[in-house]
Amino acid sequence: MATYTGLDRPKSKLYYQFWGIAFVLGLCGAMALLYYSTKTVEYTWRWNRVPQYFIYDEKVNIRAELEGTITSIKETGTDVLVTVQGDDGEESHTLPKVSLLLSQGDYVYPGDNIGFYSQTKPGILVEGVLLTLEVSALAIVFGILLGLFTGLARISDNPALRWGAITYIELIRGSPLLVQIFLWYFVVGTVINSMLAQHGLGQISPLWFGVMALAIFTGAYTAEIVRAGIQSVHRGQMEAARSLGLTYPQAMRKVILPQAFRRILPPLAGQFISLVKDSSLLGVISIRELTKASREVVSSSLQPFEIWIVCAILYLILTFTLSMFVQYLERKAI
Amino acid sequence: MHKPPIIDVQSIDKFFYTPERLQALNRVSCTVAHGEVVVIIGPSGSGKSTFLRCLNRLEYADSGHIIIDGVDILDPKCDINAIRAEVGMVFQSFNLFPHKTVLDNLTMAQMTVRGRSKKEAEAKGMALLEKVGIAEKFAAKPDQLSGGQQQRVAIARSLAMDPKIMLFDEPTSALDPEMVGEVLDVMKNLAREGMTMVVVTHEMGFAREVADRVLFMDKGEILEQGAPEHFFTAPTLERTKEFLGQIL
Repeated sequence: MATYTGLDRPKSKLYYQFWGIAFVLGLCGAMALLYYSTKTVEYTWRWNRVPQYFIYDEKVNIRAELEGTITSIKETGTDVLVTVQGDDGEESHTLPKVSLLLSQGDYVYPGDNIGFYSQTKPGILVEGVLLTLEVSALAIVFGILLGLFTGLARISDNPALRWGAITYIELIRGSPLLVQIFLWYFVVGTVINSMLAQHGLGQISPLWFGVMALAIFTGAYTAEIVRAGIQSVHRGQMEAARSLGLTYPQAMRKVILPQAFRRILPPLAGQFISLVKDSSLLGVISIRELTKASREVVSSSLQPFEIWIVCAILYLILTFTLSMFVQYLERKAI
Repeated sequence: MHKPPIIDVQSIDKFFYTPERLQALNRVSCTVAHGEVVVIIGPSGSGKSTFLRCLNRLEYADSGHIIIDGVDILDPKCDINAIRAEVGMVFQSFNLFPHKTVLDNLTMAQMTVRGRSKKEAEAKGMALLEKVGIAEKFAAKPDQLSGGQQQRVAIARSLAMDPKIMLFDEPTSALDPEMVGEVLDVMKNLAREGMTMVVVTHEMGFAREVADRVLFMDKGEILEQGAPEHFFTAPTLERTKEFLGQIL
């Protein structure tokens, strides 16, 4: 037990034990209540159906390509080598022994099923998580760059830069992310892709419009965090750096930003955790990230309770990892 | 041959808008010769720190001329960063870079501004830390040092640039009394080596011992100046007598 640092009298050991137990009981009670209420609506939990959306075995059929006779079946361990002799050539297939459907001497036509093998594949939820990760990572990188530049522009003496930064920040913060995603995809996306099509060029996938929407949204908030961080560094630091003959950009890079960065790590982490969660909106422009993937699973499996709980836990794992990583950075920076 | 003064301040004004207009400096003129140690004293709000900060353009004087080593720093076309590299400044609150070690505090500007190699800069930095007596702390972070040690590092940091002029803005005012001496010793050594120094301070003992000239400022003007023996024993103005009476 940590040393008590409060301003009131120290609490007894019993006090901590009692309220510790109360917390655990409260947690168990809440879960029991949830279980009980699902029972009353006669929901059948089928957790055993969930793993197939993470990993599953795909059955791939092996078909003959020639018309001919199976001349030989050679066993090599658990596999067999099947050779088909046709009029104009010979072909052979390797397949698991257990899946073999035919025997030596059988006559096959092109497309006939000789056997099959199974292939382990990542499920739709895993693919959703990977896409969420990809979109978030790209948006975080662009968001940091944009936020850093805008934050610096925001405190610049140059009116064009300063007003530009203020306009950008206020515009982006003033409208819902969902609307901005629609604007990027249905307005900007349509215009750009139509123009590309007119010049006979390839199309830009919705993913990139989604990344842009997220990055530009996060950039506006990051800019304000960066500005606050820079302004929190004592004035004397800039004066000391400049009095040594450093230029403004040199002083920023070597003295102010390293100190500001340490201070803004916690709010920055909060911003990026928000971003990971906000990426769930990208489903509306047909990016199959985790939320959209879950929705598709729900509509095919009809197990909404399990899937949405799993979906929430997957987001929790992503955000918690990010939060741990930033805490590690914070400890390292001090 | 008579050398021109290294600092030549010609009738500068400085206004602050806080938001009411406040004249911090009123037609201040003064020259400092090579190797001269000038101590500026005066009551708080008299403009002495503002005057000092104008000398390396941390404050931009509103009118007049400030010629540093032959260059008018109020000319917008002058390369102020080149001038500042020649003018060291020591602050009341040290302003060491807290994210860098003591040695990195000394080498950073050398490498960035003077273009020295890391090896060269570290050799210079260690020599200066030796000189100010804290070479053993080279790997420490500034917040692990006492105030007196921090201020000595700050002086060494400025000296690492090989400046022609050193400005001191109340270098001992933020220190515990027992640490004032160690900082003043470093400054005295520097003065003996012939460094041109402008020092704003409340340490009258230092002024008496080291200064070639003492300036007394009040209400944004230099009221009286003179050699310390004359200044402290027989000031001419009533205001100076009053001020000295209050602090001595």
